[in-house]
Amino acid sequence: MSLDYVKFSNGFERFMPKEYRDMVEHGPFGKKVSVSQMGSFKEILEEHPMCAGCAMTLFIRLAMIAVPNPEDTIMVGTAGCGRLAISQAAIPFVYGNYGDQNGVASGLSRGLRLRFGDKPKDVVVMAGDGGTADIGFQQVLHSWFRKERFTTIMLDNEVYGNTGGQESGMTSRGAVLKMAPLGKKFEKMDMLQMAKVAGCAYVATVVPNNPRRVESVIKKAVLIAREVGSTYIQAYTSCNIEYAIPTDKVMEDAKNVENDRYQFTEYVSEEAKQYLAERYGYKEFLPKPAAPAGAIPNKA
Amino acid sequence: MYLVADINVEICAAKSCKLCTQYCPEANTIQYSEEMGKDKGFKYGSAYVAVDRCKGCAQCVWVCDNMAKNNAIKMIMIDQLPLAAITDNITYGDKSTTAVLVSPSV
Repeated sequence: MSLDYVKFSNGFERFMPKEYRDMVEHGPFGKKVSVSQMGSFKEILEEHPMCAGCAMTLFIRLAMIAVPNPEDTIMVGTAGCGRLAISQAAIPFVYGNYGDQNGVASGLSRGLRLRFGDKPKDVVVMAGDGGTADIGFQQVLHSWFRKERFTTIMLDNEVYGNTGGQESGMTSRGAVLKMAPLGKKFEKMDMLQMAKVAGCAYVATVVPNNPRRVESVIKKAVLIAREVGSTYIQAYTSCNIEYAIPTDKVMEDAKNVENDRYQFTEYVSEEAKQYLAERYGYKEFLPKPAAPAGAIPNKA
Repeated sequence: MYLVADINVEICAAKSCKLCTQYCPEANTIQYSEEMGKDKGFKYGSAYVAVDRCKGCAQCVWVCDNMAKNNAIKMIMIDQLPLAAITDNITYGDKSTTAVLVSPSV
């Protein structure tokens, strides 16, 4: 949990694979990197077994770049496609049993605070829609009600992609899937509203066809979770296999879905706005100076 | 044989939008090199593909054609590429990477 854990032990450098040496020498640890520098530094994520053209992989790749202090971050995940990539990265990954991830993260986050005090150690939960909204629903909601200070990211591919295409709570009404041939009869769960009701300090939806926005949203969520409370990001990461999207049309689909049911929304609590403005200098959240009484707007 | 993405340096180095590097789902697959374009007299550097990591999804082709409107990326059979970048021959610098192109024959 510091810059030291990615360094070589003395004498071992020449035995390490090239990818590992690149990571230590040219990785993002201890530096500030952004999506505009992608392709110029060694990324935290390595090769992984996820399908070609998967939008979830793109989102995970962007998320790994967006976390503010990768050397002080732990990812928690659960069963599902996402963990196949999240575990192939130079960030410690804890695999919760199916549905456990927010309970595991609660303990982890509290333990890290006991051990390291004020030094920020970020816990980020990244799980699929099944892990978050169906099987892990109870633990997710309870962690929010308890205002546990970590970030929950839902990789919403709107299907159980790993097990052959069963409908999930997040599948849209009417969607016909391989293991749900009659079409889903119920509405997509409104997890955003539930997150707000449960008291999350930051709630946002995002689609990976806007890398800069993904970066900014994840940064804000992780920073707010350090002190203010739970944060929740719901990301549309299509399953091109189960929804039969040609791989070269994945971004076109993301754009269409963004215009249809996944518009960018962001809710920031007043306390979180103040925290971001005061602690991290976010100008957009600085209180606006009140106009002097009787001032006439200058239209000249 | 299988398809991999191939970036036309002449078109890429004239625009250098870097969008493909941000939209590729695979990490460190589309890399950016200042030398690749500037050494040939172009204004900017160019993106290039580490073909051993490319899964051939062609998302970069859609992004280059429809978002950047540069049409610089084509999918090509790997045995049709005389020279290409592979991970072992890529070195990282402060702000860019350098690739020694080799025959990608497998």
